[in-house]
Amino acid sequence: MAENGGVGSPGSSMHGITGKEQTFTFTVTSDPKIPTDTTAKFALPIDSEHKSKVFKIFSFAKPHMTTFHLSWTSFFTCFISTFAAAPLVPIIRDNLNLTKSDIGNAGIASVSGSIFSRLVMGAVCDLLGPRYGCAFLMMLTAPTVFCMSFVSSAGGYVAVRFMIGFSLATFVSCQYWMSTMFNSKIIGVVNGTTAGWGNMGGGVTQLLMPSLYELIRRAGATPFTAWRITFFVPGWLHVIMGLLVLGLGQDLPDGNRGALQKKGDVAKDKFSKILWYAVTNYRTWIFVLLYGMSLGVELTTDNVIAEYFFDRFNLKLRTAGTIAATFGMANIFARPLGGLTSDILAKRFGMRGRLWNLWILQTFGGIFCIVLGKSEKLEISILSMIFFSIGAQAAAGATFGIIPFITRRSLGVISGLTGAGGNFGSGLTQLLFFTNASYSTSTGLLYMGVMIVVCTLPVMLVHFPQWGSMFLPPSKNVDKFNEEYYYGSEWNDEEKLKGLHEGSLKFAENSRSERGRQVVSVTTPPDATPPVV
Amino acid sequence: VFSCFEITAYGALFSSLHQTLILNSSTSQGQVLQAGEGQVTITWSLNKNYPTGTDSNYKIVKVKLCYAPMSQLDRGWRKSNDNLNKDKTCQFNVVTKPYKPLNNNFTWTIEKDVPSASYFIRAYVYDYVGEVVAFGQTTDSHKKTNLFQITAITGRHVAINVCAACFSAFSVISLIGFYLVEKRKGKSLRR
Repeated sequence: MAENGGVGSPGSSMHGITGKEQTFTFTVTSDPKIPTDTTAKFALPIDSEHKSKVFKIFSFAKPHMTTFHLSWTSFFTCFISTFAAAPLVPIIRDNLNLTKSDIGNAGIASVSGSIFSRLVMGAVCDLLGPRYGCAFLMMLTAPTVFCMSFVSSAGGYVAVRFMIGFSLATFVSCQYWMSTMFNSKIIGVVNGTTAGWGNMGGGVTQLLMPSLYELIRRAGATPFTAWRITFFVPGWLHVIMGLLVLGLGQDLPDGNRGALQKKGDVAKDKFSKILWYAVTNYRTWIFVLLYGMSLGVELTTDNVIAEYFFDRFNLKLRTAGTIAATFGMANIFARPLGGLTSDILAKRFGMRGRLWNLWILQTFGGIFCIVLGKSEKLEISILSMIFFSIGAQAAAGATFGIIPFITRRSLGVISGLTGAGGNFGSGLTQLLFFTNASYSTSTGLLYMGVMIVVCTLPVMLVHFPQWGSMFLPPSKNVDKFNEEYYYGSEWNDEEKLKGLHEGSLKFAENSRSERGRQVVSVTTPPDATPPVV
Repeated sequence: VFSCFEITAYGALFSSLHQTLILNSSTSQGQVLQAGEGQVTITWSLNKNYPTGTDSNYKIVKVKLCYAPMSQLDRGWRKSNDNLNKDKTCQFNVVTKPYKPLNNNFTWTIEKDVPSASYFIRAYVYDYVGEVVAFGQTTDSHKKTNLFQITAITGRHVAINVCAACFSAFSVISLIGFYLVEKRKGKSLRR
């Protein structure tokens, strides 16, 4: 966030990701609680921190909307390069003499690197700012993309895919950068859109790479050379985006951090405490598992689906790529849709609605993954793949509709852990179902679908004393077990005496809307009963 | 014209075909050939031990390059299947010729997109409606004898390597350059 001259407290680099607080509109200009700062000269209405209160998707207004576009296209580019090899595997496997386990290992490697790089990127954003974080990562991973053109063995292939995978940490710089530019009331929609549009890269690459490959082959290159030349394109995209980010981007609404002064001290929270409260909350781990079964399986499918269609239905490379592309491209609407349905159900049913929404979407995705694995006809396969993609991606969006409410103090860490869980789930599913030669890819998809359905069941265990769970109502003792109690329990008495938990109390008050339609979200003194509507 | 014989009707079974062609290749057991350069000469003729009239419906012969079992290991995309519509053993076409019982030969230069693997040669015979009716192959029924190796081209070129190195260097240098220039500008602004 932009306090402290851009240097945030531990975990604050993740704050932007999930700030789906009360309003989910595209503008808060009319919100009286957020005064518009009329002194500063910006194209968009801004708040006191000079963050935009408005999200105009098709505008390029400097600096806010320019940042949005630079940010999502950088993340999109990294998705393109990370999954660029996947649709070309039928050619690469012959050139490098790969076995099924080599291909599987490379897929696992491509999503594992970013587990670590995303954690490091948080610190980098805090130290250097999101602009340099993003540009550094993109321009330092560009050589790894170019390296793919002289890979000559299975080991080299796995290593290069691992290194290219580091670039997915642009997710963190993306979300961090958005949170410096957009007011926290609209940051939810902004970040949901950047995440969804970035993820689309995994789909676009399935179409882009085979098309480029065909072009280069027609120009006269042999297959084993043509695929290598194709990799120059994602490499150039990295360099171009990196330069654009450096040239057109700025860290903060008022300029770049290097030229600005520090704004005074803010009490910093202790990282060890934040980590403790994140790790000891059982809900954290359920969501780590769940996200692995939504985003994780999405990444896995990005890696295996083109080759699957190519082999099973004897399609041409370009045709298989086109079908595979529709899987990833559904993100353009599916991920935001999951967040939207979460919000709609929450208005009526509160948090219980959000939990049901997540379970329904994710299980729906899992069921269609099973159908995809079993189907022998091309049309049914395509149809079930599309429903699978919508289910999984909407579930990913819905997950981050719930995460902000699990904790207030440790939001950054939980978001980071969940994100890592997504990548870990991808690595795990690839290892279990798509690396062993003893069963076919279609059987792998079948088993993965079963795993999704089974591993989504734990969402039924997520219980909030103040809001209930899928099958249990909230605690009857609503005076004791209320929102303040839940968020206050993340602070010990000593900290409460110092008043460190004030932010959490405010959040608790605002979160009362998660009770559903029964309660109007108003300020209530702690010992009065809230008015029931 | 011959490609219209590509797709057969509801998958003939390989096990139902008779090996009526005798196929010979110029390769010896374990010989290594280079893709793009190596040549294989294939000759085939009808096996005289079969009764006369066996070849009455033979029209087209398609010679193919096929993977040996050791090259199919851990690679499901090269799997053998008795149903010829699903069989992926023979993925490269060598030549297609009209059927003659004697004096058939062809010298094939190995294409550049052939991967490194162990191979044998097989020829399928098609009838007038495009169905497979017979075959011949250079190896035995277990596909263990008379196999030869092909070494693929790497696909790498010096020019590509140089370009990759140049663009990589450009990326790193321009990043560092930008950073240093901005740092200096920042310092002079604050002075």
